[in-house]
Amino acid sequence: MRAIALGGILVVLMARALWAHASEQGFVLLLPTDAYIAAGGATVAVTVVLLALLPERLAVALFRPVTMMRGRGPELRHVTSVLAAVGLGVLVWRGLSGSRDPLVNPMPLFVWVVWWIVMVSVQGLIGNHWRWSNPWTGPAALLGRLTGMRAPWRYPRKLGVWPGVALFLAFAGFLLADPAPADPARLAVIVGLYWHVTLAGLLVFGPVWMVRAEPLTVLMRAYARMGLLGRARGRIAIGLSGWQVVRGPKIGLGMAVFILLMLGSGSFDGLNETFWWMGLLGINPLEFPGRSAVILPNVVGLLVANSTLIAGFLGCLWLGERIAGGTEPLVAVFGRYAPTILPIALAYHIAHYLTSFLVDGQYVLRALNDPLGRGADLLGLADYHVTTGFLNTPGTVKVIWLAQGGTVVAGHVIAILLAHAVAMQHVRNTRRALLGQAPLALFMVLYTVFGLWLLASPRGV
Amino acid sequence: MSTPKNRPETKTTGTTTRRGAMKTLAAGLGAASLPMWARYSHAQTAEPIKIGFQVHRTGIGAAYGRWYGRTTEAAAKLINDGGGINGRMVEIVAEDDGTDPKRGAEVVEKFANQHGCDIAFGTLFSHVVIGSAPRAGELKMPYFVVSEGHHVASGMLNRYTLQPGITDVKSQVQAMAPFVAQNLGKKVTMVFPDFAFGHDHRDFFTQAIEAQGGEVLAHIAIPPSETSFTKYFPKIPRETEVLYHVMVGPAVLTFVKELGEFFGPARPEMFGFIDSLEAVAIDSPGLEYLEGTYFWEGNPRHAQADQSEHDKFFRAAVGVNDRGASISDPSDVSTYAHMFGCWETLHVIKAGMEASGYAGTQDRAALIEAVEAMTDMPESRAHPQGAKLFNGKTHQVFGHQYISKVTGGKLLRVHTTSIEDTLYPDETDYTTQPF
Repeated sequence: MRAIALGGILVVLMARALWAHASEQGFVLLLPTDAYIAAGGATVAVTVVLLALLPERLAVALFRPVTMMRGRGPELRHVTSVLAAVGLGVLVWRGLSGSRDPLVNPMPLFVWVVWWIVMVSVQGLIGNHWRWSNPWTGPAALLGRLTGMRAPWRYPRKLGVWPGVALFLAFAGFLLADPAPADPARLAVIVGLYWHVTLAGLLVFGPVWMVRAEPLTVLMRAYARMGLLGRARGRIAIGLSGWQVVRGPKIGLGMAVFILLMLGSGSFDGLNETFWWMGLLGINPLEFPGRSAVILPNVVGLLVANSTLIAGFLGCLWLGERIAGGTEPLVAVFGRYAPTILPIALAYHIAHYLTSFLVDGQYVLRALNDPLGRGADLLGLADYHVTTGFLNTPGTVKVIWLAQGGTVVAGHVIAILLAHAVAMQHVRNTRRALLGQAPLALFMVLYTVFGLWLLASPRGV
Repeated sequence: MSTPKNRPETKTTGTTTRRGAMKTLAAGLGAASLPMWARYSHAQTAEPIKIGFQVHRTGIGAAYGRWYGRTTEAAAKLINDGGGINGRMVEIVAEDDGTDPKRGAEVVEKFANQHGCDIAFGTLFSHVVIGSAPRAGELKMPYFVVSEGHHVASGMLNRYTLQPGITDVKSQVQAMAPFVAQNLGKKVTMVFPDFAFGHDHRDFFTQAIEAQGGEVLAHIAIPPSETSFTKYFPKIPRETEVLYHVMVGPAVLTFVKELGEFFGPARPEMFGFIDSLEAVAIDSPGLEYLEGTYFWEGNPRHAQADQSEHDKFFRAAVGVNDRGASISDPSDVSTYAHMFGCWETLHVIKAGMEASGYAGTQDRAALIEAVEAMTDMPESRAHPQGAKLFNGKTHQVFGHQYISKVTGGKLLRVHTTSIEDTLYPDETDYTTQPF
């Protein structure tokens, strides 16, 4: 006991070997990021001005898709979904029985690298693969066919998408505030339980459970609207990212909030690593005490960040509506414009995780090389060593930073175009509509600067 | 938090022994009928010695954890290729501690209660060591740390915690003073981050340079979250002969750049710790200003002209080239000044287990006594960084320290301290603590 008490006192006095790492962040700090941030903000601002000057239907025309072949052929999605469920089962088994190392065990590598970084990004960039790759709809269909049962209960309509909103916040909390979200066994238990709960929900309430209460599917369906590929007039169609948002159905308050949570949680994911945030908490970023020391601050921060974002976004919409002389209720305006920030959320997701992807992707390859941890060498990578050399080299750090920054700026430019196209669909008086867009445009310019600042600021984790 | 007591362990030990006895018996029967095959089979089927590797896989220490991992794998492979320890293979059970003291203690518990590890090993960051060591002591789990912290030798930990493979910061810092005073100057200004890490340097070096007849003209403490340093440089007294710097964190490169802008070519001598630039190529653009300055190195990153065969062997086994970078990607610079500690610690564990005839968890105390009895560790394949002297009372090893000068973008060793330079009076005697 004495030793423990003594340790508590002396830890402050004698901590040693707490080197925060100089590498990637060090080279980023040497880059002229102030100039890059200014250029990024200016690019988005110029887009706003150009939209005011160019023909008014231009933005709408940009988002017109090109239809291609008729989407038909055998309906295989239940088969692939069953396969996904089997794969997930294998991963859970490996999570429980395989290596304890989160960068060797395939369970955390799959969830946090393959699924959360790659599959989510592909969903947003290309289109809806979740229809085939989710691990629930296939098993539910199979069970339904085997038992002949139909969903016994009706999903309460008035709940809307709010259960999904609440569970998404829980997911973001796990990602940001749990002390060990990558611990293989812990993750395997959580994923295994969650799979069963969701399957039960699906069986009891039917497919509506997936699109209202299952946050991962709600997120995936939201991002699917950003994909290049989609459906128009019964055919597979391709268009500029965001075309499905322009043509998409109106969304309700719950879904609008969900979309803002996607952006807000992603932004807080970046913010909570910065020196600035640690300064707020009074934590020395060079001596970061570990995730278990910041559970409460991260939960509170997540809620405050999201609330602030929603309030700021609503404030801009309200002001814009007043300027434009609109008479619609704020909720309807919110539902119309919330999807226009999807490209920002997606861009930040991709930019934020780019370096993790480049490093941890190598661990994924190593895991694929020996999926059962029995010394297999399927890809000939047995002697491959994971490298982070590109993060310690000024040239590649610059390329990576500019790729991240460029992604963030591109996301905002598309968001501006989308907001403009959406506005043009709903107004008669173009001039006033343009003026009414000014607050939202300003919001997006500022958010560009904020997103780039997040990428440029020193981080302590 | 529930704290599993030690009593059930006796039972576990008994079971293990019984099972072990059955295995031995079975192997013996096999040996009677098929001697050659059985001997081979016995070596293969004996329970491995499980070494719990507490590794910073995620969190602030991840970059170090990666190289500690590579070194540990290489050392374990070498030991296993040579027949293991006491005829048993070594199995490394890696658990991520998230560079988080609370999780560190949980990881030690998992090693003891879930994975059936014989010992725990490998922790680097001090706060994790300090958070985990009490738990290791309660669980009576030998805990071999590789952290450089003075916390082991200071007496704040316990009999189950040992640091036999890497020297501590106090000995490193004090051993620099004679060289600095004799070769660079006696009027020193120290620039350091204003937290425990920097304070250790401030306290240990100030004392040591005064003992050499030198003095510290100014202590310039920089707030840890600072990212621009120009405003601190005017505080450096003009008569400064040596600037001692130990900046760490992402702003180190900015520090060097701004220092160059401030002083230009008319700079004082500069002495730093390679910790600032561990895993960063010394010839990176932006670091040109460090040319002609001096660094402490725990182990010379760049192969020297008189490189020992052991250093050569160590580099080849870990997969590191003559510049201390990964052979598979020369831009991937290792944490060369520290990672040898994992290699040497595993070899000390091997020697300790062999000396004590370690057969299972019931022999943990005997293992610690065997390590405590160690003194001289000659430079060898097991100790490629150099000869060492272990102090069984303080559980801390002492060894040579290196000073290198940046010359043409290379770290050229210019001084090797004696082991005596690194010694200081004992501050504790762990051997008086009961097991």
